[in-house]
This record gives sequence, C-alpha cells and structure tokens, in this order.
Amino acid sequence: MQDISLTVSPGEFLGIIGPNGAGKSTLLKALLGIVPIKSGNIAFQGTDHLVPGSSMLGYSPQLRQIDDETPLRAWDFVSFGLPHRFRPWLTKQDRQNIREAMRVTDSERFADKAIGKLSGGERQRLFIAQALVRNPQILLLDEPTSNLDPGAQENLAAVVYSINQKLGITVLLVSHDVNLIAKYAHRILYITNGQYALGTVKEVLQSDVLTRLYGAPVEVLHVGSKIIVLTSATKSLDTSICLHDSCEQGVVDDVSL
Amino acid sequence: MFHYDFMQHAFLAGTFVAIMCGSLGVFVIARGLSFIAHTFSHIGFSGAAFSMYMGIDPLNGMLLFTCSSALIIGRLGIRIFRTDIVTSVVLSIFLGLGLLFLSLSSKQANAISSLLFGTVLGISTGDVIKIAILSTVVLGVLVLGYKMLSFDSFDPIGSQAAGLPIRFISVGFLLLLSIATAEAVQIVGALLVFTLMTIPAAIAQRLTQSIARMIVLSSLIALAGIWAGLILGFYTNAPVSFFITAVEGIMYFITLGWSVWRGQRLVRKRQLDLL
Repeated sequence: MQDISLTVSPGEFLGIIGPNGAGKSTLLKALLGIVPIKSGNIAFQGTDHLVPGSSMLGYSPQLRQIDDETPLRAWDFVSFGLPHRFRPWLTKQDRQNIREAMRVTDSERFADKAIGKLSGGERQRLFIAQALVRNPQILLLDEPTSNLDPGAQENLAAVVYSINQKLGITVLLVSHDVNLIAKYAHRILYITNGQYALGTVKEVLQSDVLTRLYGAPVEVLHVGSKIIVLTSATKSLDTSICLHDSCEQGVVDDVSL
Repeated sequence: MFHYDFMQHAFLAGTFVAIMCGSLGVFVIARGLSFIAHTFSHIGFSGAAFSMYMGIDPLNGMLLFTCSSALIIGRLGIRIFRTDIVTSVVLSIFLGLGLLFLSLSSKQANAISSLLFGTVLGISTGDVIKIAILSTVVLGVLVLGYKMLSFDSFDPIGSQAAGLPIRFISVGFLLLLSIATAEAVQIVGALLVFTLMTIPAAIAQRLTQSIARMIVLSSLIALAGIWAGLILGFYTNAPVSFFITAVEGIMYFITLGWSVWRGQRLVRKRQLDLL
C-alpha cells in the first residue's frame, strides 16, 4: 500500500474490503504499530503516533486457531485482553469489564465452557469480547466472519454493528464480503493493486470506480438486495458467480477475487 | 518416619518441587513443551555428571547446563527445538556426554542410578535450602508473569497482536523450566521428569477449564504423588521414584477413563435429546 490518506471519525463503522494480498491486514497492523510504515504518519486524537498494545485499540487478528482440545474456559480467554500485565488476580472492575464485554458480544451464556468446544461463530464472539474488555475507543477486526456459515456471518456482523451503535466505538472491519460490509458500514475502503477508493457504499461500489482500481473491466451488479462484483478474473472463470458456500442456498454473495 | 532427618528433607524438598512443577506443568502442556522439558532433564543429567567429574555440587552443574541450554534455545528460536529429530539428537548427545563425564569420574554405578532415577532420600539440608530458594524465585516470577504467560501460552496469535513481549516471555519461561527441571531431576531423576512436569497438569486439565484452578489442582496432584511415594518408599524396599510415577500414572488413567466415560455419556444424552 502506498499514498493512502484516510480520516476516520469517532463512532464510524469503516468496512475495509479487497482481494487477498491487497494490504487490508497490513493496514490494520500499521495502525497498531505492529508493521512499521516507511513514510507518513498515523495520528490518533491529536497525537502523532499510536503506542503498540495501547488500550485505546482493541484488535482481533486474522487466522486465530484454537485447538479443539484447548482446556480453557471462555471467561479466562476474554480476561487475557485486560490491559494490566503484572497483576495475576482480577479486581471487581476487571470482572465487571469481562461481564460487559461478554454481554455485548452475546457470549455470556458460554462463559464457563471450554473454548475448544465452541463453534466458529461463538469463538469469534470471544475474540471480539477479548478485544473489547479493555474498553477501547477503536475496534480493529480482521476478517472475523471468514470460515463462518452465512447465518453465523450475519449474526456476528449484527453484533459488531450493535457494538458500534450502542457503545459508540469506532469499528474498522476487514472482510471479503461486500454485502456484509455494505449492509452495516458507514463508509467503505476498497483496496486493490496498491490503489484504493474511499466513500459510501454507493460511491465506491460503482463499475467505473472499481474498473479504475483494478485496471481492468469490473461490473457491479445489483440482484435484489445483493451486490455482485464481477472482476475480469471471475468472468474468465465463466462459472457464473458461485464461489461462496451461500450460493448453494440460493444466496449470491460477493465474488470479487 | 519424621524422626529421620532424611525424611524431613525429602518431604520439604518434595513439597517445593511438587508445587513448582505442578504449576509450571500447566504452561508446559499449553505451550507444547513436554519433550523440551524431557530434553532439559537429560541436559541436566549431563550437567550433574560434569559436576561430579569436576567435584562440584551436582545441582550447580545441572543448573549451569540447563540454564545455558534455555538461553541458547531461546536465542535460536523455540520452533527449531519443537521438531522430533532435533529433540532426539540433542537428548542423545547430552545423555552420551553424561555417560562420558561419569566414566571419567570415580563415582560410577551409584551416581548413574541416582541421577537417572532420583535421590530424594539423599537430599542434604543445604540442598533443601537451595531447592526452597529456587522454587520460591520460580513461583514468584510465575505469579508476576502469570497473566502474560497465560495469554501467550493459550492464545499466541492474540498475545502477539496485543503487543506482548513474546520473545522475552518465551526465553523467560524456558529459564524457569530449566531451573525446575534441574530440581525435579533430584527428586525423580532424569528419566522420570515427565512424572512431575506433565502428568499432574495433564490430569488437572481434564478436571477443570480454569487456568487458576488447573494450577492449584496440578500442584496438589504432584504433591499427592510425591508424598505417597515417600511414605510407600519408606515402608517398603521399592524406590520412591517408582511409587511417585505409579501413583501419578494411576491417577492419570483413572481421570482419563472418567473423562472418556463422561464424554460418551454426553454424546448419548445429546442423541437422546435429538430423538
């Protein structure tokens, strides 16, 4: 990624979308300070930098694998996100924060269950609860809906939207799913080929905007309430648009590659 | 039984080692370091043999070898040592080195036996003091680093993303493990370190999902094994290490059986609910 300039307002829900390798996760890591930026700066509420591990940010990384045999209860997993590092016990306030994070992510009911025994959607709720437990102002979520079935994706996106709306937390959500992002995000950041487009769903998900980004013809179709992005790569496959599990259930999702 | 100094020493040293190994074991299993702990015990054996050859305290030799190895492994990266081949090569080299040092020293047969299978009944007052100090330091560091160590052990990707000093945690834990292994070798011997380092924690994690409860249970189970071993060893002629291993092993298989039975019962219940 280069020459990216972006301002996110407090309480905003920004959807970040683009093909694999476009730099979506790298952008989040740069915001966190995990990946250094070569030039430019990242400002946060008047400061010219962010401290890595800052409690102002809650982050749920991509590809988090929890072994099915992990003998760890959900409550303990969420408590890992608390900001203090050298105090081994939980204070009353810590417990309150954990309960609240689990309540807003609707994960209280499996607080005492082993995380290894939970479904993918339930684990994702815990990942988000862990990121929320430090009461961050910004929540950075890297593909929380990947590997979930369409129903679980929708439920999880609704939870994230509720966090954004009810708690006023700024959300930056990376996803491959245009329709999920389009449904909830205030604005979209579409990244591909080192280029980007930023704006509302209507402004960004246009054939001419995405054609410019991809440097090749792209068509954005609206089928009912669904949006389909057809890139030259998907067209050349000539296999219609069934690249998602949801197609089997008659629902058409994003097919951009 | 407690009229004898050697039994008092054995119970005291055993208690410290049990609590330390039981606590560390929870993280050894979570981090997948069981075989590294076993390798440390062989490195410790080599260190003890070296100190016998040099005429110094075996515990010092063990600590020198295991702590140096922990730092080297930490420097090279733990991933390299997680492979079976590297572990078995390192383990063999140090076992061979230990035998070499023992063959060069005058104390052979008894020394080999006590290093490989433990010398819990031959622990001096000085050893007890050393073990007590080292165990207290290890447990103190464990308490301070409990939160970060738990996070990194059970959710390594999350801890890295949260900006935790994962390299420091990894090397720090290896150092704690190396000290604990050197101490455990004195109780159960180099070949039976698994008994204290992994079995109690493996039992505990089948009984609870809370890390804090796991640590308490694991320590109690290690303690039960050592105390039972010492009592049975005192009243019979069989070695203490055998009884410790047998008690821990029996507890493990009982828990495993109970856990499997409970799992099957839950499956049957779910099937009935579906019907």
